Formats: sequence, C-alpha cells, structure tokens
Amino acid sequence: MEQAVTSAMTTSNTHLRDDSYLDDIVSRLVQFSVFWAIVGMGAGVYIAAQLVWPALNFDTAWLSFGRLRPLHTNGVIFGFGVTALMATAFYTVQRTCHVKLFAPRLAWIVAYGWQLLIVLGGLSLLAGWTSSKEYAELEWPFDIAITLLWVGFGIVFFGTIAKRKIKPIYISNWFYGGLIIVIAMLHIFNNLAIPVTLDKSYSLYAGAQDAVVQWWYGHNAVGFLLTGGFLGMLYYFLPKQAERPIWSYRLSIISFWAFTYLYIWAGPHHLHYNAIPEWVQSLGMVMSVILLAPSWATMINGVMTVSGAWQKLKTDPAMKFTVLALAFYGLATFEGSMMAVRSVNVVSHFTDWTVGHVHSGALGWNAMITYGAFYFLVPRLVNRPLYSTRLANAHFWLALAGTMLYIMAMWAAGVSQGLLWLSMDEIGELQYGFVDIMASMTSYYGLRFIAGFIFLVGAVMMAYNFYMTMRSTEAVRVRPPQVDPAYQA
Amino acid sequence: MTSPISFRSLLSPTATFKALAEATPNPMRVLFSYAIWLLLLPPAFAWLGAYAFGWRLGAENPLLLSPATLTLISIGYFALLVFGFVTTAIISRWMASTYGASDSLGLHFALIAVVGTPLAVASVAHLFPHVFFNVLVLIPTMIWSMYLLYKGLPIALRIPPERGMLMASSLVGWLLVAAVSLLGITVALWASGIGPSLGV
Amino acid sequence: MNALSLHKKLEENAGLLIFGILLVSAIGGLVQVLPTIFQDTLSTPTENTRMYDAVELTGRDIYIREGCSTCHSQQVRPLIAEVERYGQYSRSDEFVYDRPFLWGSKRTGPDLHRIGGKYSDAWHRIHLIDPRRVVKDSIMPGYPWLVNRPASGAGDIQAKMKVLQGLGHPYTDEQIAAAPAQLAGLQEMDALIRYLQMLGTNRPTGNDPDAHAH
Repeated sequence: MEQAVTSAMTTSNTHLRDDSYLDDIVSRLVQFSVFWAIVGMGAGVYIAAQLVWPALNFDTAWLSFGRLRPLHTNGVIFGFGVTALMATAFYTVQRTCHVKLFAPRLAWIVAYGWQLLIVLGGLSLLAGWTSSKEYAELEWPFDIAITLLWVGFGIVFFGTIAKRKIKPIYISNWFYGGLIIVIAMLHIFNNLAIPVTLDKSYSLYAGAQDAVVQWWYGHNAVGFLLTGGFLGMLYYFLPKQAERPIWSYRLSIISFWAFTYLYIWAGPHHLHYNAIPEWVQSLGMVMSVILLAPSWATMINGVMTVSGAWQKLKTDPAMKFTVLALAFYGLATFEGSMMAVRSVNVVSHFTDWTVGHVHSGALGWNAMITYGAFYFLVPRLVNRPLYSTRLANAHFWLALAGTMLYIMAMWAAGVSQGLLWLSMDEIGELQYGFVDIMASMTSYYGLRFIAGFIFLVGAVMMAYNFYMTMRSTEAVRVRPPQVDPAYQA
Repeated sequence: MTSPISFRSLLSPTATFKALAEATPNPMRVLFSYAIWLLLLPPAFAWLGAYAFGWRLGAENPLLLSPATLTLISIGYFALLVFGFVTTAIISRWMASTYGASDSLGLHFALIAVVGTPLAVASVAHLFPHVFFNVLVLIPTMIWSMYLLYKGLPIALRIPPERGMLMASSLVGWLLVAAVSLLGITVALWASGIGPSLGV
Repeated sequence: MNALSLHKKLEENAGLLIFGILLVSAIGGLVQVLPTIFQDTLSTPTENTRMYDAVELTGRDIYIREGCSTCHSQQVRPLIAEVERYGQYSRSDEFVYDRPFLWGSKRTGPDLHRIGGKYSDAWHRIHLIDPRRVVKDSIMPGYPWLVNRPASGAGDIQAKMKVLQGLGHPYTDEQIAAAPAQLAGLQEMDALIRYLQMLGTNRPTGNDPDAHAH
C-alpha cells in the first residue's frame, strides 16, 4: 500500500491568504542557503589555497588557517546545509500534511534567528572563540542559542504535523523529525560545559571520555544532519521530480529504522587505535559495516524510482543532480563502511583520505541533492520557468567534474601519506621523514584547490540563475488541495 | 573479424559506437581478441617502469622491488583488471533490462572495452611510476572515458539519451565503488603484511 | 496484527513516532557511551597524569584558540612505525585533565603528543613566528602576534582554575591565588612554548627511550 504522494501545484492565486501555504519563508531560506553555500565554499577554496601558498595567512590572526577552517565547516554544514534543510522541511511538511505551517511567526524567528546565529557565530570563530571540538566549535552562548532555535524549529515542524489533514505521516517527515530529535540529543550532551567567561568554557568530559562523546556527536551530526535530513529531502523531491511514487514503501520503512538504530553506534570508528576501550572501537566498526545495508537499500529505492522516469531528464536539469547525488551517496556510504574497518583505518586515519571521503559525501551527495531540490523548487515558488536551463546544465558538469577531481586528488594524497608514514625498511627503520612526505603533498593540494574552485564556480552560476529567476517576483500563494477521504485525519 | 572494436575507436568513437549498435559481437571474441591485449598494457608498463625507475610516492627515495615481486604484482594487477572488466560488463548487462537496453553480453563487453581503451593506452604513464605524474595523466583520460561512456552507451545499446544517462550514471556509481574497494583492499592487504613492509 | 499494520499505527501517530525515534536512537549511546563515561580507569589520574599549571593551562588554551588541533594530532597510536617516529604511544590516563581532549583528526603537520623536550625554546619561538625559517617546506601559518600579547590577557586564569577545580582538577586555593603572579611578565608565546615543552614528558614508566623526531 503506497503512501499518497501529494500534489499541491495548483497555482490558484486566490486571496485566501490565511490558509494558503507559507512559502515566503521557503523562498527566503533558499536564498539564504545559496548565500551560505557561496560563503562557506568560498572559505573552503581559500583555506585550500592556504595549504598550497601559506603566505595567504598574512600573519594575521583572523585569517589564519586554524581559525578559518571551522568557519568553512560551520558555514557549509550549519549555514548552507541546515538552512537548506529548514527550507525543504517547511516546504515538505506543509505539502505532505496539507496544512499551512504551524506558528508562522515562530517559524520566521527561527529562520532569521538561525541566519543571525551563523553570522555572529562565524565572527566569534574568527575572534578565536572555540571549543576545538569538531562541528561543535561554537562556544556556550551560541550552544544555548542553537538549542533555543532548534526547539523552535521542532515546535513549528511537529506542530504542523500535529494539525495535519492527512492521517499517515509521510516518510520525509520521519527523517526530518529524526534530524530534529537526534541532533537535539547529540548537541545538548556533547556541548555540556561549565562557562568561565562569555568566550570560554570547559567541557564536562575530559580525555578519552570526551573523545567518545565527541565522536558519538560528530559522526551522528553526519548521520542525522548530513545524511538523515537530506534523505528526507530525497524522499520528497525525488518522487516529485520523477512524478512517480517511491519504488518500495516496505524498503523505506526498514531502511529508516535500521538507519536510525545503527548510525548512532558508528562514532568510535573515528578512534581506532586511540586510547579508548577496544570493545568500543570494535563495536563501532561492526555497526559501521552493517550500516551499509540500509544506506544502499535507500540508494536502490531512489535509483529504481528514477529509472522509470527517464524522459524527464530531457527537460529537467534538476533530475540530473538527483541522479548523480544517489550515485555519490552509494559511493560515500560504501567508502565510509570500508574506512571504518581497522585494517583500512590504520592507513587512512589522520590522512587526506578522510578529507576526500568527507567531500565525496559533502559535494557528491549533500550539495548535489540540494541543488536538485532547489532547481525544482525555485521555479515553482515563483511560478516562472528557470531563467537558464543551459546554465543549470553547465553547473551540473562543473559540479561533477569538481567532485571527481577532489575525490581523486585526496585519494592519491591520503593513501600516499598513510602508506609512507608507516613505511619501514628491512632493518626496521622509518623510510621517510614527516616533512618530506608533507612536502610531496603540495601537488595534490593544488589539484584539490582547482577542484574546489570549479565546484564553487558552479554554485555561483546557480546563484545567478536563481537571482534572475526570482528577481521582481514574490512567492506564489498556493492553497492546500482537497484530501482523499481515505487518508483524512 | 576486425570487428567494430579496435584501436580505431580512439580516433572515431562515434562511428565505433554506431557500428556496435548494428553488430552482435561474440563475448569470447571480444575478450580474447581485443580486451585481453588491452588489459595487458597497464601491468606490462607498470612492470617496466618499476624495474627501471622504482616506485615514487613523492617523497625522496624510489622504492625498488625485486623482479620476482614485480612479476607477482603485475600478475595481480592484470587479474584485477580482467576481473574488473568482466564484472563491469556483466553488471552493465544486468542493468540493461531496467533501462530497456539490449542484453547481448558481447555488446556490453564491447562497450566497456571501447570506453576503457583510452585508459589502457594512457597507462603508458606507468613507465614513469611517479604517483602524481600518473594522476595527472590518468585523470583527464578518465574524464575522456566517462565522456565516451555517456555519449556512446545510448548509441551502442540503442536506447534514448536520457535512459542512457541514467544507466551510465549507475555504471559510474559501480565504478566508483569498485575503485574505492580497490584502494581499501590494497591498503588492507599491505597492512596485513602482503606487500611492502608497514610498521603496524 | 503484522509488522506492517503495526507500523501504520506509528505512521499515524506523531507522538509514537517521536518516542520511537528517540528510543531507537538512544540505544547506541546508552550501550557505548554511557559505560565509557562511568569507567573510572579513564578518568582516574595515575603517575602518568600531569596536571597543567597556570602557565601551561594558558598555553593550552592558546593552542585551542589558534586552532592548532586542526592540523596537529596528539595521539600516538600503538603502531610500530608511530612509536618509532614519535615515541611512546598515548595512554588514556595521560589525558585525564584534558578539557577538551585534543587528539585531533588530521595530521597536516606531525603529531605533537610527545613533542615536549625535543626542540629548544628558541627553536619553538622562531618556528611559531615564521615556520619556514626552520622548516623550509612548511605550510604552517605564522603566529607573530603571540609575541605582543601578555599571557595574562589570554583569559581570566583564576576563574579558569576555579572552574577546573570544580570539575575535579586538584588545584589548591594557594595555587589559584599564585597564578596571576606566575603569568606576570610572560607573553602568550612563552605560555604556549611552556605548554608544548611539557607535552608528553610525563611518559609511562619503564619503557623504551623516545625516538628522535623525524
């Protein structure tokens, strides 16, 4: 029995403003998201350049690599990524529930509040306010602000679900719901700290215990934010683009619960051969490998859904992005499970291979699925065709090229580093000095800089395309359509 | 017998793909009179290069291995390439029904062979086994091969370009996974002692 | 009632769904993380544990502020090549007072857990101001501003030590009272170098001598 896939594309411009979907907020969030994509990726390209030309640090505190790197990660994850998730969650939850967003004023506070948080948080990072814990660098005042805004996000989202007119809750909303609930749990527990001053706090956890908590958080920030949330995006926008229902309802249920259960255990694969109990490492490894199953089940579900809708590729640039996003999702999840295995990890840990893996997911999966959703969304929000399909197609090839080049460069760099660090000669002496190995990485870092630059150029083209499409328009008012009595709440 | 596929495909790929669309090649023929020779090139070049220059991963001293070890490695490399070629062709044929493509095994063997020809030829870069140099030569070649895949698949398998795009993307997905598995397996083997000594 | 119709109940009830997600996602943490947090051996100091004095603590916080752990790890793994390159592998009891932990996840530069005592103060000073003067191919940024900033300006040292005392670090009240005087006349650069010079020097007893840094 398949879920009802909603279709709310009646462009009836009635003046019943009160019960039409709140889409202005979606438009605004899409714009903010694209803005952060460029800022965050721009920061990434800059720090990539710094690794080739260290003079670009300019002996200036707020321009130094150590402070810019978290600016990049926070900018792309919490700026680009979370804003995109908010935009698509608000769009999706309304349409799958056939109701206007709950508490619209709160929703606007969350939307703008989040942007302010990113701006101020970014500035604080430049000023050196940092906990140094990855993807949780922002200090305690921001952690509290994040918690409050996140609760607001949850209230708007679940409130909308509570007043839904369709009885069953669509699968996208399980994933967005999972995102909200699990990130809340992770964020709160990992950031527990005692403040000293406004800009400094000390973690409640120390040493090995802190490490385990940090990577329980860190890996699941990837799991539930970068994977789970974006799967929510996939499960709505893919069937909408393909104009067919998801291939297997049963598979999607099993995958969702397996995924929600398994992902949490994977954290310790970041700590192989580190000073934490071995049973924790091994458990993390085993669960990471089993995790491949629900990940690929989802990919297959997506691929089979798309394969029946190939005619759309002729006219729809958005689909291309979604299709490649699925392929890279498959790659990244496979690679992750593989790198979680100790015998691979012993060579890959601490190297650029990890960076390559991150970016195969971040560029190949996250960015591309978001681009696919945005290219679908933007024309519909303003009821105008996309300004330029040619530009969108060019963007696709740039994104693909940038991603592939990035991955290949980092594979080569990472594997070389890992093997060279461990190389010993017949008499048991190290064969290579650290500095020599480091110096040989420059060429790969150069390739990576080019790759990132290509990817960024694509994003800028997209921004221009959206600007020209959305310019001098406002979001179209759409009323929720009638609900089939079989599904009525 | 000099069927559509040969090194001619390097110069006129579109014509080759069109010719393939008309032909029903025999899979064993494709494998033994064309593909096998193609797949011999990378291991052969690698052996010569490693023997003459030694492997360089970038840092100073080149790694010089004995001819016996090199032969073992080259045989392994060859076996891997054959395995990869055959499995990719079989997977391509397995995907065919989903995309409405022909399921003639020989046709898929031929398609993969033509798409992979530039890479096999470019493996001449292995004559100087410096990793970065090889990366610099093989990445553009790989881009070219991918372009051939996207362009040639719909022509050779006689399906609309959009379906071809989807099928090609799925194949690319498989190839990426295969490539990363190769990395992982190699690294895991080296870490467990089969390969140059690592201090683990 | 089979599994699928059971699931329909979940799909139609937001409360159940929320509860289900919370329950299922909490299990991993309860099994893996909670026991680790309550494992005393990971948080009990031994003779290998060294507390940070006021100057070292200041240096450590500067290390955190400048993002040093972005490129440098502090975790020597129990692998032959690593022990030979860096020295004794890192044991959990050495990190009991590390808030937060600084094990790092990337080695753009070398591991620093056993860096203490391997280079002179003067070397560190030059290296931190302009790394390329002592390591030709280095891509590390320079940190010249550390020389112009007094160590006492890097945060309220007494407030910091009081908070840590509350978290179980055995600082005495006399130590806390004496802290500002210890920082007097020192620059941030001095504090950072002091921190680096004590890193990993309290190595586990009765083991191999440290290898030369490569």
